Amino acid sequence: MKHIQSYPAFLRKAVGVSTDGNKYFYAWMVALTALMLVGVNAWAHQVADGMGLTAMNDHVSWGLYIANFAFCVGLAAGAVMMVIPAYLYKNKAMHDVVIVGEILAVAAIVMALCFVMADLGRIDRAWHMIPGLGRFNWPMSMLTWDVVVLSGYLLINLHITGYLLYTRFLGKTPDNRWYLPFVLLSIVWAVSIHAVTAFLFSGLGGRPFWNTALLAPRFIVSAFVSGPAFIILALQLIRRFGKVDIGDAAILTLVKILRVTIFINLFLVVAEVFTEFYTGGAHTASARYLFIGLHGHNALVPWIWTAIVLNVGAAGLLLWRRPGKTLAHIDVACVMTFVAIWIEKGMGLVVPGFVPSTLHEIVEYVPNELEWRVMAGIWALGLMVFTLGIKIAIEVFAGRMRAPGAPPMDAPEAAQIEGEVA
Amino acid sequence: MSPLFLLLLACSTDFEHPERAFAEAPASDAPLHPVTIHAPPTLGAVDAVGTDIHGTPLAVSCDTCHGGSDPLAAANANPEEMHGDLVLNHGPISCESCHSKDRLGLHLADGTELEFGDAMQLCGQCHGPQKRDYDKGSHGGMTGYWDLRQGPRERNHCLDCHGAHAPQIKPVKPAAPPIDRGRVQGEEH
Amino acid sequence: MESSTRRTALKALGATLGAAAFARALAPIASASEDLSMAEVLQRHYKQLSPDEMKAVLQRLEDETWEQYGAVVDIDDTRPLPDTAFGYALNLSVCIGCRKCAEACHVENNHDRPSNQSYIRVLEIDNGTVDLAFSTNDYDHAVPQKQKYYMPVQCHQCDNPPCVDVCPVEATWKESDGIVVIDYNWCIGCRYCEAACPYHARRFNWTKPEIPAEEINPDQSYLSNRIRPQGVMEKCTFCLHRTRKGKMPACLEACPTGSRVFGNMLDPNSEIRWVLENKRVFILKEDLGTQPRFFYFFDE
Repeated sequence: MKHIQSYPAFLRKAVGVSTDGNKYFYAWMVALTALMLVGVNAWAHQVADGMGLTAMNDHVSWGLYIANFAFCVGLAAGAVMMVIPAYLYKNKAMHDVVIVGEILAVAAIVMALCFVMADLGRIDRAWHMIPGLGRFNWPMSMLTWDVVVLSGYLLINLHITGYLLYTRFLGKTPDNRWYLPFVLLSIVWAVSIHAVTAFLFSGLGGRPFWNTALLAPRFIVSAFVSGPAFIILALQLIRRFGKVDIGDAAILTLVKILRVTIFINLFLVVAEVFTEFYTGGAHTASARYLFIGLHGHNALVPWIWTAIVLNVGAAGLLLWRRPGKTLAHIDVACVMTFVAIWIEKGMGLVVPGFVPSTLHEIVEYVPNELEWRVMAGIWALGLMVFTLGIKIAIEVFAGRMRAPGAPPMDAPEAAQIEGEVA
Repeated sequence: MSPLFLLLLACSTDFEHPERAFAEAPASDAPLHPVTIHAPPTLGAVDAVGTDIHGTPLAVSCDTCHGGSDPLAAANANPEEMHGDLVLNHGPISCESCHSKDRLGLHLADGTELEFGDAMQLCGQCHGPQKRDYDKGSHGGMTGYWDLRQGPRERNHCLDCHGAHAPQIKPVKPAAPPIDRGRVQGEEH
Repeated sequence: MESSTRRTALKALGATLGAAAFARALAPIASASEDLSMAEVLQRHYKQLSPDEMKAVLQRLEDETWEQYGAVVDIDDTRPLPDTAFGYALNLSVCIGCRKCAEACHVENNHDRPSNQSYIRVLEIDNGTVDLAFSTNDYDHAVPQKQKYYMPVQCHQCDNPPCVDVCPVEATWKESDGIVVIDYNWCIGCRYCEAACPYHARRFNWTKPEIPAEEINPDQSYLSNRIRPQGVMEKCTFCLHRTRKGKMPACLEACPTGSRVFGNMLDPNSEIRWVLENKRVFILKEDLGTQPRFFYFFDE
């Protein structure tokens, strides 16, 4: 069958699968849609009446949106922690579920791009960023680098997931030449998206809190905490609700990774805190604001200490060799560290860069209701992309979504899939 | 919307228009406009005791006595009595350091007579650095043109800002600060 | 088969309802975009406009000011003078912190009235330190105070401007006379420049500026003091609509103490050159390497 017929058929079936499910699935989709509606409406008001509807101001000119942007880029980069064991270390168990990481990368990049769009004062001029049509200040502006690497990463991962699912759909074995180079490229690219996002902040000489070489390493390491944590939770949910038999092996590999990255992350926090507080001086004002408050201003202090307690607690849980086969404590640890990184790399990174301001004024920022609503909408969109991607993947890998006239699964393929799905 | 715009958009390039690069410069040999010094009121005023019914401090214009047809007549009256309420806060100098005793005018330290309109020379004989800075353009307010080829400039006179008898600038109420988004008003750190 | 048809019908109904709900949620944008002309949306970058296109744009902007603010204004495309490099110096020994400069800026540059914004912020700093941590700028007491000095801060028109480097769409750039400008019709409002500027010289139009028609300064320029649209950055331009025509900036004319010295640094006989060559001059945050064209100096 020609691709010109089979590819539309693939897309058609994908839409069908995306809109079919049990009552839990429909409830989940309706809930996500409702949240997206809330977010879209809040955003529409913001576009109409101006960014003045947010709590941001000329002193703290980036807030919740850019905080989430930084976090989502990390989440996308963290997905590579499945790709590396699967393809570089030939980890069989990981190889079987690596598509979860790739779908997560797609969903997280979609969210990251949406958060940048939500932060623009003039969405009607977004086309000014399109190379050729607008004026793209590349290579000077790190934001243009970010646009390049993020859309590149999105395309790479769309290609990999699309190609793998489509060939499975056709009942063929994926041709290494068509996706392995992209997988290897995505590993390098994953590091680049997060390094570039860190450079976006650390390149600003006027903001001492960000202007540190440690920022990019911290970004990468924290991404390698939040990414695996999310994937572990996702795998647990998939095997519970997706009726897919995923063994513990992949999860245990990710736990091993987490045990290392979570401690490196804590170490880098300690290194940063030591340097700031032992040295003292004017340039540490932002760190003082974040950790202990500055001149009676302490909006972020409870947040950052919550993050630290959660991260330390998660690290302890991960070290706990619990007898028996239950992984419940790992789930708890993943939730804890996921929230902790969201605080630490989100608000805990973005806001102190602006407090005190460059003329040493202290103006605090607490996101308002509209910003929370927009954020909820974008997260709902991301979760929907992720859910649908996973759902399609399950159907394809289980052989339930298959091209008409595709050869029946041959024995090795069936055996392989046997290991992946029930 | 004009379709022309869409068309232009489609073929947009990095072309920049040289004819828009610069404004037309005035000729380099254009005659220079003058720099004038703002003339202060010929004679000032002297603070008096009390306030008027509006609460404004009373002041007596110098013209009241010295502006008549025979200014010297007033000058020859008893100056200590008439100027008793004048606040002199100008270092260790006396009235006669600047004012002529026998005429309504000023004099330099070497006795050279000056008219009131030339008071800046008098200031300059003590305040050398300020006079130099003024002459070089780095002291004293001004309005008009930085580019004298295009227009004139008017400089402030010393007395526009400094009282002759108490030259230190008095505290003023500042213009209102900006009302920043997000800032708790009236809070100082 | 029957249940499958029913299912498809239900799905179609769901999709229709969903689409209608999203259209409803987006409604505020539709009503707000009535003011937005297609010509404005598709307008090209300032540097790409031919003289005729620029003329059309200026006419449209004047018309919009009339429609939206009820004021007749004259908007020019004021280009730099050749062989000119503006420099600005401020005498900290003389400044008394009266904010007359900020006030003049507010009026001259058609700033938003409710927020009382201005491109100049005046810092009151304790004597004996240059650490801005010991400064305030929202003071409202009589000035000058004892044991304090005053430092007005505005755009430093850096020769190495971080704000220009970071702009993703080249909406801000440095012109030949040294002034860093913004194309208010090209800026996408990402506020990266605001984060990059070490001098708090850039501000964002969080809402549409409000100015009564009778208070609008009608003498306007495209890159300078025309009323800025909502959602874009703005900054000091050394009053290029004045200075490029040879006039002093508004803040200098308003200064009652003569703290401000402005001129062409390429002219060896200019006042600004004398200050730079003979006074104790320093620049703010010199360690950042921004190379400002705004200087501070002390008398002896």
